[in-house]
Amino acid sequence: MMQSDAKLQTSQPKEVGKPTLTSQQIGCLRFSPCGQLLAAGDYNGHVQLWRVSDAGLAAVPPLTGKHNGFVDAIAFAPKEQLLFTADTWGRLSCWDYALWLKDDAPAADAIKPRWSIDAAHDGYIRSVLVSADGKHLATCGRDQIVRLWSTDGKLKFELKEHREDVYALAFSPDSLLLASGNLKGAIHLHTAQDGKHQKQLDATSLYKYDRIQDVGGARVLTFARDGQSLYCGGAMPSGGGFVQATPKLLRFDCKTGKLEKEWTLGDPAHGFVYEIIEHTTGELLLITSGQPGQGRFMLLNPDEKEPGFINTKMANCHAMTLHPGGHRIAIAATNGGSNANGRDSALKNGEYTGNHSPIHLWDLPSSAE
Amino acid sequence: MQHKRNSSSLCTPHEHALSRRVMLGTMAGGAASMAFGGLATPAVAEALRQKEKQVLFIWLDGGISQLESWDPKPNTSFGGPFRSVPTSVKGVHFCELMQRTAKHMDKLAVIRSLCTHDNAHSSGVARIQRGDPKNRGVVYPYLGSAFAKLLGPTSSKLPPYVWIKPGSGGFKAEHAGFLGPKYGALAFGDGQPPDNLLRHESISEEADTQRNELREAINRRYAVQRRKVSTEASTAVFDTAQQLMKRQDLFDATTFSAADIQRYGTHDLGRHTLIARKMLEAGVRFVNVTSYGWDTHGDHFNGSASLIPKFDQAFSAIIEDLHASGMLENVLVVAISEFGRTPRINGHIGRDHWPEAWSTVMAGCGIKRGIVSGSTNEQGTWVKDNPYDIGHVFHTMFKALGIDSIDTEYDNGGQPLPIAHEDMQSITEVLA
Repeated sequence: MMQSDAKLQTSQPKEVGKPTLTSQQIGCLRFSPCGQLLAAGDYNGHVQLWRVSDAGLAAVPPLTGKHNGFVDAIAFAPKEQLLFTADTWGRLSCWDYALWLKDDAPAADAIKPRWSIDAAHDGYIRSVLVSADGKHLATCGRDQIVRLWSTDGKLKFELKEHREDVYALAFSPDSLLLASGNLKGAIHLHTAQDGKHQKQLDATSLYKYDRIQDVGGARVLTFARDGQSLYCGGAMPSGGGFVQATPKLLRFDCKTGKLEKEWTLGDPAHGFVYEIIEHTTGELLLITSGQPGQGRFMLLNPDEKEPGFINTKMANCHAMTLHPGGHRIAIAATNGGSNANGRDSALKNGEYTGNHSPIHLWDLPSSAE
Repeated sequence: MQHKRNSSSLCTPHEHALSRRVMLGTMAGGAASMAFGGLATPAVAEALRQKEKQVLFIWLDGGISQLESWDPKPNTSFGGPFRSVPTSVKGVHFCELMQRTAKHMDKLAVIRSLCTHDNAHSSGVARIQRGDPKNRGVVYPYLGSAFAKLLGPTSSKLPPYVWIKPGSGGFKAEHAGFLGPKYGALAFGDGQPPDNLLRHESISEEADTQRNELREAINRRYAVQRRKVSTEASTAVFDTAQQLMKRQDLFDATTFSAADIQRYGTHDLGRHTLIARKMLEAGVRFVNVTSYGWDTHGDHFNGSASLIPKFDQAFSAIIEDLHASGMLENVLVVAISEFGRTPRINGHIGRDHWPEAWSTVMAGCGIKRGIVSGSTNEQGTWVKDNPYDIGHVFHTMFKALGIDSIDTEYDNGGQPLPIAHEDMQSITEVLA
């Protein structure tokens, strides 16, 4: 751990209990707005679910057989009790999540989506997001398109400026602007109401063409709570293959489109910024994942050059969500020893085994409460 | 030198017989040309040359993931995020990243049950490209050098083993192993010719001829007291350079149509595969196209989404072209790596080295079309049936080109050495 000021010395995030073990690798993680449900998309096409209490997480039977490939994007509606799930084969589904809050939640087989679109995108859906006013549902994917939907599944319009794999989305806090970022580091701002193009921001420092591989991109976007700035996370790649990449955070002025500030958050082993959450205090919560075993959870005061808090004990952090109460976060990391070449690496009792994502709960320090 | 077992002087395999016929044909054409004002020679020679067998060897350094290419396992524990797509052969699917090549499955033989055991880079490249023979205390040649020895140049007289690669070029004698440096690879860095290949304009053709005669005379005198392999290699390099000097057109990228450049791709692998097509058309016996950067230990699925469609683009284009021109009858095409990639997905969302169950693809000369050989289990973790090592693949390639891989041996200064692992044999189900 590292700390940069006296405030955090007395008030650092603290891990709560032991991590909740899962049997799968998790790519996305979100608390419901009511704070009672935690949902995660995994690499087996399942949606894992837990009821949330102060004591921790209690597993609910997962949603299985409803998606294909990876479930790499999920989002809750802010007002209605809706959960949106999206997979890498292009399916977008909407679920009434209230049923999982009941003690007698039905089995997955009996659960039907409120609506589902098999080909919401042609293949990999990278991100799904609902605006704060609950009026807009946005998706993007490998088909290079951003789509705006109503929350009842009606397509409103498409945005096709990217012409590259679109990785990330963010709505401004007032729900008026939609930001989307792509593989080559271009970020487009559109008005959410009508899809009118407003600006293009330059995050190409997060991209590299190495040999014949496109590496990096604008991986994650978040507006500042005042709506004046847009944060973009990713990495400065040094090469493909292994993908050595130094985590980077950029902040743009939304009015001018100019880069205001950037942070280097590690070294080339530390990889990509996977999530950015701005807390009500203005502090940024960040996670990164790099070479196997390299994972970081950080607290960054945007006025500072470096994070005030860095935890390195969780391997490869891929997803993070802030409880609506503001005091707790959940982080999906990876088990240790996740990599190795050849047959002996993954054999346990003669069986070939995969990796999994323990979920860590952290209570935030008083500075971020 | 190589000979057939149980034969005293069969150092010329079937393909050399073909070469002799071609040479005779060329000579006949030469005679005809004298009679018919030289009109017949190029056409006859070209027609004959087109029947000479050649190899296109596409090497994806590191390892292309079998799960994201030839052997998808969608919706299984380790299947990854991508869909599979049907191919032109009913019941055979590829990963969606291979959509173009999927349309040409009817021309391909996919081997899905490679099990090559060694998961280390330090030995991986050489082990695979040398065919992993038994250790007899000698360094075996890479495949290109083996064919340079066994088949020699085509009647084009162009260098028999050309390596098109990113980065620098030069003559790579080390590929030849015990065969001796003259069978090494002539590497064209980024597809470009060696530096200073052209005769300098200040030197007349006559002066150049005189210089070469002088060089050859000095070489002969020098060779008397030197090891033959060294002087042979030196002479071979000069001879090769002289042949290349006559074929500057091989390196003229302006001859490619804009449509072809787009079809193959403007990236290195696309450009180099297009150059390989030209080399094959010109008569190079063995062309190795190498692409680096396939060791996707991290960010594997995004990496694959970038890399594999580029391979798909270039590979499908050359299969399509070789098929359209009829050359696929005589050109053996192989695409292979050091190993496959682990089913298990590591914390960097990568796949590591996995030699236990992976795939390769062949097409063209001597190969059945539209066939899948071997299989992996439902999860893609292990070979389910017909495990094949690289030795089996070597036997298959030799057989496909008409070389008896059991009876033909190298003669390493009196030491007979099998050309492929003697405990293995060809994969008969993919042989035409």
